[in-house]
Amino acid sequence: MSDTAPDMLPGMQRSRWSGVRKHTFLCCVSLVMLYPLLWMVAASLKPSTEILNTASIIPSHVDFSSYRRGWFGLDVSFGTFFLNSLIVSVLSVIGNVMTCSLTAFAFARLHFPGRNLCFAIMLGTLMLPYHVVLIPQYILFLNLGWIDTFLPLVVPKFMATDAFFIFLMVQFFRGIPRELDEAARLDGCSAWRIYYKIMLPLSIPVLATAAIFSFIFTWDDFFAPLIYLGDPGNYTSQVALRSFIDSSNQSDWGGLFAMSSLALVPVFIFFVFFQRLLIEGIATTGMKR
Amino acid sequence: MRERMTGAASFGGATRPPRTSKLQSIREGYGFLMPWLAGLLGLTLGPALFSLYLSFTKYDLVSDPKWIGMGNYVRIFSTDPKFWIAMKVTFTYVFLSVPLKLGFALAIAMMLNKGLRGLPIYRALFYLPSLLGGSVAIAILWRQVFSSGGLFNQVLAMLGIKGMGWVSTPETALYTLVLLTVWQFGSSMIIFLAGLRQIPADMYEAASIDGASPRRQFFRITLPLLTPVIFFNAIVQTIDAFKAFNSAFIISDGTGGPVNATLFYTLYLFQEAFSFFRMGYAAALAWVLVMIIGCITAISFFMSRYWVHYDE
Repeated sequence: MSDTAPDMLPGMQRSRWSGVRKHTFLCCVSLVMLYPLLWMVAASLKPSTEILNTASIIPSHVDFSSYRRGWFGLDVSFGTFFLNSLIVSVLSVIGNVMTCSLTAFAFARLHFPGRNLCFAIMLGTLMLPYHVVLIPQYILFLNLGWIDTFLPLVVPKFMATDAFFIFLMVQFFRGIPRELDEAARLDGCSAWRIYYKIMLPLSIPVLATAAIFSFIFTWDDFFAPLIYLGDPGNYTSQVALRSFIDSSNQSDWGGLFAMSSLALVPVFIFFVFFQRLLIEGIATTGMKR
Repeated sequence: MRERMTGAASFGGATRPPRTSKLQSIREGYGFLMPWLAGLLGLTLGPALFSLYLSFTKYDLVSDPKWIGMGNYVRIFSTDPKFWIAMKVTFTYVFLSVPLKLGFALAIAMMLNKGLRGLPIYRALFYLPSLLGGSVAIAILWRQVFSSGGLFNQVLAMLGIKGMGWVSTPETALYTLVLLTVWQFGSSMIIFLAGLRQIPADMYEAASIDGASPRRQFFRITLPLLTPVIFFNAIVQTIDAFKAFNSAFIISDGTGGPVNATLFYTLYLFQEAFSFFRMGYAAALAWVLVMIIGCITAISFFMSRYWVHYDE
């Protein structure tokens, strides 16, 4: 898919004036949309007396005290929360990329009885709402003694439970010429070597896309940590933000905005550096975010 | 994209005779599938069956599940006013936010599509809220923006309008959540942009030679050819909207308030399971949700015959 816009067609040609109008309109819409975000980041940099009662995004002077207050706003510092989030997210990325690519390779490239049935079941699990398995999974992890550890958040990722990424990878693997692995087969390559030496190196873009989305989804995940983590020392940043609202009783908006802004930084970094991969991932698979 | 399509088409067709023995192919195939199979049985199918069983029981995590037959389902549909409140809130949310979101996404995608300069910049700006939007941080921001002393009221005050506590007023709280969802139209817009690019340019050329107005071109060419993409987007967004949780939880402090105005179905389910530990009842609620989503998907697919055009 190329990024270049199609040439102007005779029927679509508009006057220069309508172009200006369109740009004005689009600029206004994007400004209105992004204003709350800008305002939050600005508010986190304002002296705390200036935060409320103004819609302006220009602070009288830049003041980082909200960040200091917010960082130590709970009994455990936000350093721990961000580290916890990072651990969970990185482990999830590793698990998803490893096991989803193994599964996708089997679906896209190997022939064995029952493959199509398994593939259909995998597509079926895409539709199944998480809530159906929520309670039994909770009971399972409770009995395993995993509550209040990262295991319930991470172990499922090592079992390719995010069917979406399997689907994404199957689509990509199928586009890689079959002649490559057939030639390798004739040379006596095992399936494992084909996967490891041929498929993976050729699939870096899709693996990266899956890794980035996997990171963002896990980083932003609120529901699972809310259920499984009880001790504040184990909180991920998202759950910590939630308990920040409760504890500060809405009085310290500066600290709350500062930590909220920090929690958005990793996602924003991926947006800045890997936008193309993200947009292509969405365009080719119809992902919801 | 086209290459991937043909890759998909050859799937299952044109299979060459296997060079390995059958036993070996089974060993290989299921070897690769091992983690997935373990997850499927242990974390998906097994739990799904177990939750179906639990939905016919009374279970509080402490004592053993007690079989009560259809008891939970009877209670859901006949004597549980909160279920109907949650249904009303969720359906209002889904059927307001999804059409608005898709309408907005399509309108902006149409504007960006016609050879507009700066397309990558606009696309990125519009996509950003959609990427960040799932975060708790954004829900917190929303809660402040629409509170009585919040940003929105500041802006209204500049225009001389007196605002109100939008998230604390039962009549308006749900609409702030709808707005939050519509705000995240970016990913749908990207899918529409990809769809628009697939429409052959010579169709428009022919149409304008025949003197068709841009309006007519939109309704006769663009819209019909885009219906598969619209349909796909609508299904994905609808299912997703039924599962919405984070925003309502943060904005209402987990209560679904004010006065149950933001009691999303999933929030109600969460409360039943993890505040009151009525695990059997919550499992029944989960299965009702599956049935609702299943029915709506089935109806959508049935209806799609009448308005979705696929290439022959």
